[in-house]
Amino acid sequence: MENATVIQTRNLTKIYRDFWGRKKVRALNSLSLEIKAGEVFGLLGPNGSGKTTTMKLLLGLLFPTEGEIEILGKPADDVEKNERIGYLPEESYLYRFLNADETLDFYGRLFNMSAKERRERADALIELVELKGARRRQLKEYSKGMTRRIGLAQALINNPDLVLLDEPTSGLDPIGTRKMKDLILKLRDEGKTVVMCSHLLADVQDVCDRIAILYEGELKVMGKVDELLQEQDATQLLTSRLDDNVIEEIKQVLAKHNGELKKVDHPTNSLEDLFLKTVSESKERPGQRYIPEEATEEANTSASE
Amino acid sequence: MNFNPEPYDLLGGVGTWAEALGNFLGLVLLVAIVTSLAVQGVAGPRFVLKQMLRGLIDVVRISPRRTWALASLTIKEAIRRKALLIFVVFAVLFMFAGWFLDDPDARGDMQVKVYVSFVLTSITWLTVPVILLLSCWGIPEDIKARSLHTVVTKPVRRTEVVIGRILGFTTVATGILVLMSAVGYIWVKRQLPTNVDLTCRVPIYAAYDPAVDAVEEGTVVDQETLKNAGFYFIDQNGNAKATGINTGDIVEFWSYIQGATNARAVWQFKDFGPQYLNEKGQLKLETRFLSFRSHKGRIKTKLLCQLNFTDKSTGKPVALPAFEVDEFTNNIFVLDREINYYDTESGESKTVDLIDDLVDDGTLRIVAQALDTGQYLGMAKSSLFIRLPDQSFAVGYSKAVAGIWLMLSLIVMLGVTASCFVKGPVATFLTLSLLIMGQGFRDFMLRLTSDQVLGGGPAEAWYRILKHMNPMQEMPNTVGSQIIGAIDSFLLNILWIAQHIVPNFESFKLSNYVANGFDVPWAAGMLPSVAMTCAYVIPCLLIGYYSLSLRELEAK
Repeated sequence: MENATVIQTRNLTKIYRDFWGRKKVRALNSLSLEIKAGEVFGLLGPNGSGKTTTMKLLLGLLFPTEGEIEILGKPADDVEKNERIGYLPEESYLYRFLNADETLDFYGRLFNMSAKERRERADALIELVELKGARRRQLKEYSKGMTRRIGLAQALINNPDLVLLDEPTSGLDPIGTRKMKDLILKLRDEGKTVVMCSHLLADVQDVCDRIAILYEGELKVMGKVDELLQEQDATQLLTSRLDDNVIEEIKQVLAKHNGELKKVDHPTNSLEDLFLKTVSESKERPGQRYIPEEATEEANTSASE
Repeated sequence: MNFNPEPYDLLGGVGTWAEALGNFLGLVLLVAIVTSLAVQGVAGPRFVLKQMLRGLIDVVRISPRRTWALASLTIKEAIRRKALLIFVVFAVLFMFAGWFLDDPDARGDMQVKVYVSFVLTSITWLTVPVILLLSCWGIPEDIKARSLHTVVTKPVRRTEVVIGRILGFTTVATGILVLMSAVGYIWVKRQLPTNVDLTCRVPIYAAYDPAVDAVEEGTVVDQETLKNAGFYFIDQNGNAKATGINTGDIVEFWSYIQGATNARAVWQFKDFGPQYLNEKGQLKLETRFLSFRSHKGRIKTKLLCQLNFTDKSTGKPVALPAFEVDEFTNNIFVLDREINYYDTESGESKTVDLIDDLVDDGTLRIVAQALDTGQYLGMAKSSLFIRLPDQSFAVGYSKAVAGIWLMLSLIVMLGVTASCFVKGPVATFLTLSLLIMGQGFRDFMLRLTSDQVLGGGPAEAWYRILKHMNPMQEMPNTVGSQIIGAIDSFLLNILWIAQHIVPNFESFKLSNYVANGFDVPWAAGMLPSVAMTCAYVIPCLLIGYYSLSLRELEAK
């Protein structure tokens, strides 16, 4: 399975037409992609760049104007390919009058799963997406984040080989976003192929092995994330804290080798890391809260008096 | 009762259906190939063939579990969207209906008719709009909310979506109908006075002969054919006639025979045997004749009528005692197998065996004559019949409800099919149009297309309106008239096709039988309804399947 081609598109073009058949917009132009098994592939691009159109063409929800699609070895309009695919749509398109249990049971039945299998799988997925307390509530009562999570659960009901995620982190809070990203990496570790489209670049950078950037329906860039982001003409060292003398010595060494020290600073964590750390500590020590420095000084003064 | 008990020709119906479907499919295939050639060039026919093969595979590989999952979803959706609120309307209607329908002075059979008609009509007109709206809006709402995206991206075939929806809505309709009809049945039983019987008569009518019974009005049928028919008249001169005397009634269902003349009405029951006798070996006959007085006479005295059989060995009449015709109700005769009669020629009392002596070559012949001079008795084929042991009222009532169910099932099929290619409001309008046209416009369309309506087609009608020409006036023989004729011919051909496509919703009206105290006959009542619904299953599935398969669900 490793390195096998899961998705291949050749010259994929989609032109939207109006009622009279006149060309309205060329949403996708000659897109040729190849996605291998076991990788996390990100489709990036601004709004209207053709990400979602590509996703819907892959799923057979739209028909290509030109070009070919092969997905899991079958054409996009072959229903049987869906046995091995999980799809999380951009918005929650689930049946709002069902509760979480009923939703997963319904989608499980569409895969011809037995009642026992459906029950076990639903329990595991509800646990995974942390909706245990809300499993009997109708989806119309869910918040956006909860709806995304149950959407993800239904996408995984069949334990798919290929997971297509359309804006997977949209509507999720930072904790939910991190969990979603962790889950994507977990899916990759299980050998599954994940294709996600998003315009949240940080999320894509965190989880994707390869990316493709689309602009106005055309593929502009494609490759491994690390390679695309790497600056080939610079070197970065990460050491323990150095004092000014040592830095001065390093400058001299570099000068001896015709090098130049361009930037010296302390590495920073991402805001996401800080947020998650704060939430995690708050859970461990519920009474702790932030007190401004001025207030602390005042308190100390009055105590000494 | 003013219906003709015509048995349904199932084989003929299936033949016509197969021919129509074959022509339809052939035409669609031809249009598809030509269009695909024009759009895609030589790859076009290959695409058409691929779609046909895919359709076949999708039919063969239907998964009952997936289909039922979609049907269950439909049922849940209907329940949670409060479709069952219809019961509140139903309950309110029945709580107060008794005030307006109660008429203790009316005849028993009229009370039964009013109550049964009310219940069955209410059920029909309450369930039809609900089921129509549900079935027409289900799929378009799914597409609009994109919930269908999460379904079709699973291994679900479009056939399963269409069948699942139809099955789901039909189940909803069944549930609503069963509950309503059960409540209606109990209500009728409780509302009717204890002295009124809910009968469900099982009639055997005289033989059906298409050469006489199915000919157009005004057709002259020859004497020999008439004499072999199930029902015919004999005029004063002894000639067989398809109709008797018209006493001026605009409705020609009834024909009259003149009293104290040679005029007769004849019923012939084919394949007559002991199966028509009750457990005591008796034959039960029921008649309902109308009286028409050309002079006042003794107004309080009922008109006299006499029924005769024919002795097969002598060819002479075996006359039953004369009886007074009960107007607006029925005369019932229970005859033993051994019939004693008075032979007017010999002046002796004789005995004949009903089957051995009166049935000639499997045919029992019953002749009615009016006995009062100058007075007339009105008769029709259905006004004399053999009455088999009565069915339980519940059985007849259930059959009438089954007729409503078949109609609802057809509405569901049409609604779901329409909703596969147009949005909810258009699908509703389309299905409603078919329903209205099928309720009573088919005959009008037939008369229009067969030149039975004065004034020509739409173009000619417009011309006549503008020119203030009455419909009787001949059109001028000009080029303009010929153009109008050609336009009308084209439009009437389209109307002819429409007339054949529109389902005949009249065939589901089985409640008349029960309301009039009859069982719903299988051959003349149930079978046409079942055939009508079944005829639309395959075309609806095909249209629904290809409409969903060939459209981009994402495109709005």
